Amino acid sequence: MAFWRTAAGLNAAAVRHIANMVRAARARQRARFEDREARGMALLREWLSPQQLRQLEAHNYFEVTGCNSGTRYRIQYGVSTNVVELDADGRPRMGWCFIPEGNLVAGDVMLAQKIALESNERDALAIAKQFVVPPRRPDFPHCAGGALH
Amino acid sequence: MATHIIMDHSGDTRHHFDVRDLKALADAERRFKALTGAGFTAATRQANGDISLVRSFDPAAEETVFYPRLVGG
Repeated sequence: MAFWRTAAGLNAAAVRHIANMVRAARARQRARFEDREARGMALLREWLSPQQLRQLEAHNYFEVTGCNSGTRYRIQYGVSTNVVELDADGRPRMGWCFIPEGNLVAGDVMLAQKIALESNERDALAIAKQFVVPPRRPDFPHCAGGALH
Repeated sequence: MATHIIMDHSGDTRHHFDVRDLKALADAERRFKALTGAGFTAATRQANGDISLVRSFDPAAEETVFYPRLVGG
């Protein structure tokens, strides 16, 4: 009996030890992700205009003007389906899906989208996919997938 | 000091170099060519905040950001 009690105690200790290790690993992973996120947002903030920075702080998005068409776009916080073309009244008209290759954080993705639209709008839209923006929920665009344009 | 900022999975990697240091300048030019050759886009920011794409290495650029090739999402 004493043997089984000792064995059970050891097993419980081992389980606790493993659970602690898993918790610590998850905490380290979360910290790394938060650090990457923070670095990406810091870089984005450095490259935004003062007006765009104010928009980002207030609304979690900022607007850019396409260099070729003069069209206004809203770039929302996110890593995909986060670029929305606006009409003359500032209402969402359609979404454009284009992102840099690789597993980049939101700040990096948003900066690449800003630079592309402000400096090379035509090429950016040429590789982008359109998606439908529900009129009532522009903050939660629905990606329709579809053909390249 | 000039800076190359390369977007990557860690957020970004920064390379600082002194443009008066010929070896550092040559390394920076090699890095620029390697990245743009691999599909990265390079953009610089002027003092007034204007951003422009650059196709060739500009030793006068204080800050150049590189982002990977864009793809349809």
